[in-house]
Amino acid sequence: MYIIETKNLTKSYKDQVAVSNLNLHIPRGKVYGFLGPNGAGKSTTMKMFLGLTKPTNGSFAINGKKYPENRIEILKEVGSLIEAPAFYGNLTGEENLDILRKILGLPKTAVDEALELCGLTPYKKRLAKKYSLGMKQRLGLAGALLGKPPILILDEPTNGLDPLGIHEIRTLIRSLPQQFDCTVLVSSHLLSEIELMADYVGILNHGKLLFEGTLTELRQEARAEGYPTDNLEDTFLAMIAADNGQRGRGR
Amino acid sequence: MSLGLEWQKIKRTGVLWTFLGGGILAAVVPVINLAARSEMYLRLQDSPVDILFKGNWQLMALLNILLLVLGACVLYHIEYADNGQLKMCSLPIKESTLFFSKLGLMTGLCLVSLSLEALGMAFCLSHWFNLSQSLCLELLKYFAYAFLLLLPGGMLALILSAFCKNLWVSLGCGVIGVCAAILIPTDNFILNLFPFALPFQVLTLNTEQAVCYLLASLGEVAFMALMFLGLLKIRRTLA
Repeated sequence: MYIIETKNLTKSYKDQVAVSNLNLHIPRGKVYGFLGPNGAGKSTTMKMFLGLTKPTNGSFAINGKKYPENRIEILKEVGSLIEAPAFYGNLTGEENLDILRKILGLPKTAVDEALELCGLTPYKKRLAKKYSLGMKQRLGLAGALLGKPPILILDEPTNGLDPLGIHEIRTLIRSLPQQFDCTVLVSSHLLSEIELMADYVGILNHGKLLFEGTLTELRQEARAEGYPTDNLEDTFLAMIAADNGQRGRGR
Repeated sequence: MSLGLEWQKIKRTGVLWTFLGGGILAAVVPVINLAARSEMYLRLQDSPVDILFKGNWQLMALLNILLLVLGACVLYHIEYADNGQLKMCSLPIKESTLFFSKLGLMTGLCLVSLSLEALGMAFCLSHWFNLSQSLCLELLKYFAYAFLLLLPGGMLALILSAFCKNLWVSLGCGVIGVCAAILIPTDNFILNLFPFALPFQVLTLNTEQAVCYLLASLGEVAFMALMFLGLLKIRRTLA
C-alpha cells in the first residue's frame, strides 16, 4: 500500500541530529507534501532516499525495494529534483536531458516530452548556463519527469519561479498522479503551497515527524490540540511553535 | 555507453582542442630543436629515435603531463560547476563508472596528442635521418612506453579533481606536483616512482630498469584505482 516507507530513519552528524527516528508512510499514487521550516531535515530525508547521504540508523524501502541493497534499482524508479537545479552549464537544455535519457535507457522522444511538459521547448537549444533561475528549475523538473518515473522526489520545486511559474508547476505536480500514475513526494516550507498540491502531509521539525495524514486529519488534530484551524498556515506555525517550546523546556 | 556520455559532456569546454593544440605544440618541439641544432644531433652515434627522445622528451613530457592535469581539472569542473555531479549521483549509475569513463576519455585524448607527437618525430626521422620500417617500430615502442608511464600521473590528477570541488585547488595541486617532479633527478629510481615524475623517463637500453618502471606504473594505476574506490566509500559515509 505504501510506496515509500521508513522505519526509525535517523541521520546524525557530529553534534547534530538532522533526522530522528522518522517513520514515514507515503501512499501509492498520491501527492505527499513534506512540510517543515528550514533545517527541519526535509532535504536530508530526500537525500537519504536517493542514496546521496547514508542513514546513521533505521531503514527504508521504496516500492518494496530495500536500501542499500537495491540502491540502483530504486534510482531507476525515482525521478528527483534536489536542492539547487543540477545541470551541465556548457550544454543546452536538450543536451542535458539527452545525457539523462541515455543513462536511463529511454527513447529519444522522452526528451521532447519532458521539455514540452515543463514549457522549455522554445528554449531547448539555449545553453543551460544562460537560463534564468526559473528556467533552470524547470530544467531540473524536466530531468525528474524524464521517462515518467513511478516515484517523484521534488525538493522545493517552485524555488525561484515567478507567480505564474509557481502556478503552472503546482498544477503540473497536482496532475501527475492522474496523468502518469505516479507518486509525488514534494517538500516545501510553505503550508499554503502544500495545501494546494498535496493529498497527504508530513510535518517535520528538528528532524522529528510531528504529524502525518490528510489535510482533514490535520485540521481535526489541530482542533483537538487547541491550535488555530481557520488558516492552515497558522495551524502549522502553532504546531512548530509548540514543538519548539517543548524542546526549550526539555533543555 | 558511459564513455560516449563523457564525450558528450565535454562539448564546448575546449578540452579536445586543448589536447590537439598541446599535442601539436609538443610535436613541434623536436622539429624546431632539430632545425636549429641539426649538426649537433646528427653527429651523435646513438639510434635516431634514442637521439630524438633524449634531446626532446623532457620538454614534451612536461607538456603531456600538464595537459593531463588540465584535462582532469576540466573534466571534473563541469561536474561541480553547476551541480551536474549531484544529478549523476541520483541516477542509476555508479560514481566509480563515471570516474573510469572519464579516465578512459582522458586516456583517449592523451593517445591523440601522443599520436601527433609521434608524427612530429616521424617527420624528424624522415627529414634528418633515414626513416625505415625498423625505426618506425622503434618509435612506436618508445611512444607506447611513454604512454604507459603517463597513466599514473593522469590518474592521480583525475583523483585530485574528483575530490576537490574547486578547480583551482586541483589545478594548483597538479601544477605543484609537476613542478616537484621536474626537480627530481631522472636517475633516481625511487624518487621517479612519483606519478608525476614517471612520464619524464625514456625507454633506454637498460631494459631491466625500463621493465621496473613499467611494472611500477601499472602497479600505481591499480593501487590508485583501489584507493579511489576506498575514498568514494569514505566520502559517501561522511556525506
